[in-house]
Amino acid sequence: MYAGQFDVGSASLFSGGGFMPSQATQTPDSGFSKSRGVQGVLPLTVKQISEAYHSNDDKSNFVVDGVDATNVRLLGLVMTKTERVTDVSFALDDGTGRIDVNRWVNETSDTNEMAIIQNGMYVTVNGSLKGFQGKRHVVAFSVRPVTDFNYITLHFLECIHVHLDNTRPKVNVPVGTVVTPNNDVKRYQTPVSNQFSTHSGIGGSESNIYKLVLDVFQEPASLAREHGLHVDEIVQRLGIPMDKIKDAIEYHVDIGNIYSTIDENHYKSACNG
Amino acid sequence: MDTSSPAVFVNAEILKMYLGRRVRAVIQVMRNDAGVIVGQSTDGNQITVKGAQAVPPSHFVEVIGIADGSQSIRAEICTDFGQSFDMSAYNGLCQLANGKFKNLFL
Repeated sequence: MYAGQFDVGSASLFSGGGFMPSQATQTPDSGFSKSRGVQGVLPLTVKQISEAYHSNDDKSNFVVDGVDATNVRLLGLVMTKTERVTDVSFALDDGTGRIDVNRWVNETSDTNEMAIIQNGMYVTVNGSLKGFQGKRHVVAFSVRPVTDFNYITLHFLECIHVHLDNTRPKVNVPVGTVVTPNNDVKRYQTPVSNQFSTHSGIGGSESNIYKLVLDVFQEPASLAREHGLHVDEIVQRLGIPMDKIKDAIEYHVDIGNIYSTIDENHYKSACNG
Repeated sequence: MDTSSPAVFVNAEILKMYLGRRVRAVIQVMRNDAGVIVGQSTDGNQITVKGAQAVPPSHFVEVIGIADGSQSIRAEICTDFGQSFDMSAYNGLCQLANGKFKNLFL
């Protein structure tokens, strides 16, 4: 009885706000590697944004590494700042590329925040990524000057870290029949998956590679792409040598799981998107 | 958006691979001689920077410009990073950004 009360108490404690509710609502649909970054802010380089997949159907949704990239954090130099009555715009150069940033100024605090931003200054921009008439830009929530320049190093290391985390083959991805036995023989299964993710492709786990490759093709983000995925993207995502990936692709083409699209380097799942 | 002229993260060692290209490096200023800054790169080797405004010795400065020699950069933009900067972390970033994770930067 006491334990029961305690449980209820702690549950209501956590349901009030913070991260818990969003995690709870997220759990059912985290079918693929979309488990993080849905509501969060994704640190990105301009180069990554230029390569982000843009699905037009679902009101300007960008996908980077299989993760929704609506809210982003960028860091770079301010160039060609232009002030207007309703907004301030500038180009942000982060060394990997340049992107236009817009900051609407409604309140005095917004005006004050933007007044101190000068050309040639390093700033951190938090904002939402928009696509308009094929042009990508950021509508900023905040533009803050960088005061500690170690933050520049940190930002780019964060970009790498988050990229690595989102592209790492997920051990807990539900992959059909594998999921159920996984719970029963957990102790037995875990080392196998670990070995697989660290030096994949060395053991004779050919069929596992086949499965991983197919899983990438069957992610919703991949299915939505007209031309499917480039072989290099699969290599980059899984970190498995090119020849192994090509083997797997050949296998799946042969049995009809995937087909080549615009050229011999692009493949798409035969499943309906 | 435009990703046609990126500035590659470099230290003195990596600079040699990008002759004629746009690069960015952080150096600790050793001396200023008539418009030329001589400084130490994040990997400990020497780099000279032309066309930069004078920065006080011992300050860290970020230089973005064209690699015009195996140990020299023609500056376009210089930013004084002050007197406290973690050189080894930046050097690690240079290596990552030119190695395994090059595709995020170039």
